[in-house]
Amino acid sequence: MKRSVNEIIEKLMAVAANPGQAVKEACAKSGKQAVGIVAPYGPEEIAYAAGCLPVGLWGGQVELKRVRAYLPAFACSIMQSVVELAAAGTYDELSAVVIPAPCDTLKCIGQKWKGKCPAIHFTHPMNRKLDCANDYLTFEYQTIRTKLEAILGRKITDEALADAVLFYNHYRAVMREFTLVARDHLATISPTVRHSILKASYFMDKAEYTKDIEDLIYALRRAGPENWNGKRVVLTGITFEPRELLEILEFYHVAVTGDDIAQESRQFRTDAPYHKSPLQSLAAQWQNQQGCSLAFDPFKSRVHDLVDLVRATQADGLVVGLMKFCDPEEYDVPILMEAFEKAGIPLLCIEVDQQTTAFEQIKTRLQGFVEAL
Amino acid sequence: MLTLGIDIGSASSKAVIMGDGKELVATAVVQAGTGTSGPKRVTAEIFERSGVLPEQISATIATGYGRYGVDMADGQISEITCHAKGVHFLFPAARTILDIGGQDAKAISINENGRVLSFFMNEKCAAGTGRFLEVMARILEIPLSEMGDWDRKSEHPAVVSSTCTVFAESEVISQLSNGARREDVIRGVHNSVISRAMALLYRTHMEPAFVFTGGVAQNSGVVDSLRRELRQEVLVSPQAQLTGAIGAALLAQEKADQKGV
Repeated sequence: MKRSVNEIIEKLMAVAANPGQAVKEACAKSGKQAVGIVAPYGPEEIAYAAGCLPVGLWGGQVELKRVRAYLPAFACSIMQSVVELAAAGTYDELSAVVIPAPCDTLKCIGQKWKGKCPAIHFTHPMNRKLDCANDYLTFEYQTIRTKLEAILGRKITDEALADAVLFYNHYRAVMREFTLVARDHLATISPTVRHSILKASYFMDKAEYTKDIEDLIYALRRAGPENWNGKRVVLTGITFEPRELLEILEFYHVAVTGDDIAQESRQFRTDAPYHKSPLQSLAAQWQNQQGCSLAFDPFKSRVHDLVDLVRATQADGLVVGLMKFCDPEEYDVPILMEAFEKAGIPLLCIEVDQQTTAFEQIKTRLQGFVEAL
Repeated sequence: MLTLGIDIGSASSKAVIMGDGKELVATAVVQAGTGTSGPKRVTAEIFERSGVLPEQISATIATGYGRYGVDMADGQISEITCHAKGVHFLFPAARTILDIGGQDAKAISINENGRVLSFFMNEKCAAGTGRFLEVMARILEIPLSEMGDWDRKSEHPAVVSSTCTVFAESEVISQLSNGARREDVIRGVHNSVISRAMALLYRTHMEPAFVFTGGVAQNSGVVDSLRRELRQEVLVSPQAQLTGAIGAALLAQEKADQKGV
């Protein structure tokens, strides 16, 4: 029997609100071990092919205590939370963590992981468009595969990897369809609901999650499009949390018509193309990734892509969630501001800090922005 | 028709009654902001001072950090929109506004109708705000209201960091203990506030006329520092601190007109 929209939304929102519990339940249900993938990008497919549950580690609203001993106060907010949680033992039940190094902070965290589970470090190549970048990243992924095999005590076969790559391409296609359908259901898929649905993907078995999203798409399509008379914005940045930020959007009757958030759409907008080996496919996916401040792009296609996204989704403006102390994102902001002014599209930049507890200034900014739209 | 604008800031509460969206009927300022007795006191004071009865008010708009705590308000509008509206009323030629209040600094570009084109606010930091000046006044043992007079006496301005209030505080203490003259340190403090504000202003269109609003605009030393930095005239209203409340009262008039009150 097909489930209702509310039923599916409630399930996914509960997962997003209680990640630790959700991961425990998913592991108990499937008998899988959990492998952490530190934000923002990692080859989840390798962990999936190993029969594990890949879990996204994107920090959270945690009070910072232990991290002060390891990171300077000006390290980005996500990594402050990740190290705090690692040092507090939150990730100790994971079988391993995979840590990328797309920025200086992550490079350093990879070198001094504070959790008890083993850490596997890797580096994405910067000059991604060169052929040798594929060879390099394929080798890095092979290293992850080998280390994970040693930790788990089992082989990760080529067949399992190929299956995982194909399955993840399917998952990504489903997610892209969801964001399209959500655009016509802005009352039901409010900013907090949209974010929670996308966030739940990090704490569930991908097969079960993908089925939930397919059922949700089906139910939404059957229900038909909704009217929306509020304002519409596109979000960009690394994450758009804490949840209170999204609640402020809702308070001012603002819907999210699309996103360019690393934690959200950037995860599923680029497929892994065909290559002779599955790891080469995965490497090519990173090479094809576009429009992210952490993925070197001399042409800054992110700027034009965002202008196009705002126009295509008929949004009234762009809200940049600037991750506090994230250098790569900060460098993009002046470029975005200039381009959006030229394009005549309103842009608001707000600071995203997972440790924020007072939101009044952000509320004022968002209200001022909405009033000016 | 009478309308009421109430601006509950972080350091003070302001109220303005306007007649037909054209004249200031009464004003009140209480030096206590949101979370204190200030909002209640400023409302009581404006009715007492004007002799107007609450039932004579056609519409009330609240603005400022405490805008959602004003029970009698018919609506809440951000201080960004209210300042733009208020400044346009006081100075129709205004195109760029610098507003510095107790804990916020804002640079706002407006058009010929007083509509906000873009705005930029300080991050969560006291540097460059009214709170920064309060801290400095305390160390210098000078009433906040006299800082402008002291600034005029400065001949060799000191350099004070604009990065952090806490660092600036220890810097000022160190300068004073090394024998720096108070007026020179005060000029340095004022320049530091404007150095911080310029980082916001440079993001706007920087189109004249420039208007300085908010409580800090009452400090002539900071205003002079802004004039020197911009090399332009800077307009300051005697009602600088009331600009947000004036804008709120004007928007209340629009609301009342729409409702056909």
